[in-house]
Amino acid sequence: MHELGVVMEVVKTVQRFAKENGVTQIDTIVLQIGELSSMIPRYVHECYPAAVDGTELDQTKLKIEIIPANALCKNCQQVFNIMKNRSICPECESPEWGLLSGREFTIKEIVAC
Amino acid sequence: MGVFKVLEIKEGVFENNDRQADLLRKELKQRGLFLLNLMSSPGSGKTTTLVNTLNRLKEEMKIGVMEADIDSDVDAHTIAKQGCKVIQLHTGGMCHLDAEMTRQGLDGLESGELDLAILENVGNLVCPAEFDTGAVKNAMILSVPEGDDKPLKYPLMFSICDVLLINKIDVLEHFDFDLDAVRERATKLNPNLKVIPISARTGEGIDEWVRWLCQEVKQWQVEA
Ligand SMILES: Nc1nc2c(ncn2[C@@H]2O[C@H](COP(=O)(O)OP(=O)(O)O)[C@@H](O)[C@H]2O)c(=O)[nH]1
Ligand SMILES: [Mg+2]
Ligand SMILES: [Zn+2]
Repeated sequence: MHELGVVMEVVKTVQRFAKENGVTQIDTIVLQIGELSSMIPRYVHECYPAAVDGTELDQTKLKIEIIPANALCKNCQQVFNIMKNRSICPECESPEWGLLSGREFTIKEIVAC
Repeated sequence: MGVFKVLEIKEGVFENNDRQADLLRKELKQRGLFLLNLMSSPGSGKTTTLVNTLNRLKEEMKIGVMEADIDSDVDAHTIAKQGCKVIQLHTGGMCHLDAEMTRQGLDGLESGELDLAILENVGNLVCPAEFDTGAVKNAMILSVPEGDDKPLKYPLMFSICDVLLINKIDVLEHFDFDLDAVRERATKLNPNLKVIPISARTGEGIDEWVRWLCQEVKQWQVEA
């Protein structure tokens, strides 16, 4: 499955961050996943235990924040969600817009000490 | 025990690998070694195309091959029969290779005096597209039986490749595969994409592919 390899990449980055910042205990990892990302939050949750198994992150909690696929209409400057509006501006029906967010796949923060 | 607090990381998941890949590319440039990353679904014809390519180029340059197809060294044996240096990478069931694994592979190849290293990536159109291996150029193979809708289903893969080989054109007449539609869909995603229809079985189109590859390797070495 696609998600497992990528979540292992998350684990590596967090391990490096923990080492560099003298973190000894991690409680929660917070990820941000855009609505347009190829990562499916449910699958990320499902493969998380396997990805952290046998690492320092074993037993840590995973939290995922979904980032909406928002765009700015080039015609009327309306900000709208392209998934909910089938890629057409709900104000003026223009299909011309620039993406503001939604492609993220980011490690936002950790809760640790 | 200390008090838990929120520590901001704000790092894209692929950033670390991207940095490793850029570093590897820089080193490859200094050494004048060209790394080609070859990707496709399983069975599209990576190994067959490789064998063809090696036969055309092995007199001209020193080539090494890294095989990453999961759980088997069948492909490595096939390549070894061509008289080229080949190693089997053990991906442990991973769905892609990252820059670090690629670097280890190159070390294992003892790539010191090579001109060209080719990585046969894990057969998969999703994960390898997200992980930069550090290759100088990315090539993908789409074969006729897979269907002409693949650029619509795997847009990222088509957008990160430099060349698209459309393989198995010898069986075109048996499939409703629209070559022009693929060309149009793929170049819409990636205007710089070079598209070359080939048959690894009959050898059709292989000349053009080999010419492209040869040209790229020479250019890389001149700039080194
Ligand atoms: N008809 C036809 N079959 C091909 C062609 N290239 C490869 N094949 C066949 O497709 C199958 C898979 O090829 P292989 O090179 O092992 O694919 P890989 O999994 O991508 O390495 C083999 O049975 C090949 O003989 C081609 O151009 N035309
Ligand atoms: Mg193969
Ligand atoms: Zn509008």
